[in-house]
Amino acid sequence: MNNRLKVLRAERNWSQAELADRLGVSRQTVNALETGRYDPSLPLAFKIARIFAQPIESIFSDGE
Amino acid sequence: MSRQQRLIIVLIGSFFGLFILAGVAGFLSGVVSGATGDTSDRPLIWGMGAFAVLAMIGAMAVSVFWMRNIDEAAREAHKSAWFWGGTGGMAAGGVLVILASLPQAESLNLAAWFTDRTDPAAYMATGAFAMLTLMIVGYALAWVWWWLARR
Repeated sequence: MNNRLKVLRAERNWSQAELADRLGVSRQTVNALETGRYDPSLPLAFKIARIFAQPIESIFSDGE
Repeated sequence: MSRQQRLIIVLIGSFFGLFILAGVAGFLSGVVSGATGDTSDRPLIWGMGAFAVLAMIGAMAVSVFWMRNIDEAAREAHKSAWFWGGTGGMAAGGVLVILASLPQAESLNLAAWFTDRTDPAAYMATGAFAMLTLMIVGYALAWVWWWLARR
């Protein structure tokens, strides 16, 4: 699954640690999410969408 | 206090708690032995039995606390490590179990490699520790691999 997490985070000048704090996860988890090597659960995806104030589908795409 | 600090405090507390628990079990075994005049190994066995049960219940409680306080990716890493590493280690141990069951293995004094004891319980403990070690090694490798693959 592809995502725009890194871009959205950069637009806000947040560090990975800062985003991790906001999401309540570790920095390593944010890194794994950004590289697209870990797909978040639905609750975490909703939380990400809330934090960036965007719909889930504008952040995550299935790559098709 | 952050979640990570809480986890570290619980881990350190559990580590020292284990020593205290072992000390209390040994002390109580001595007290019971002295009070009842029982000079056999029975009080020690009961004391160590109680220690083992309490230590394992404590280990389970700490594990549950740990799993509930880490984030979902960390939890996923542990689940993956448990399946791939644990079962991989068990499969490796399975080879040893099959080989050990052959009549040709009769002359191997495996337990004597690690301890002076060669009684059946020593062999049982050796086998259990060997299987546990392989599973833990597999678990650790799979856990490291999971995170390295997601860097």
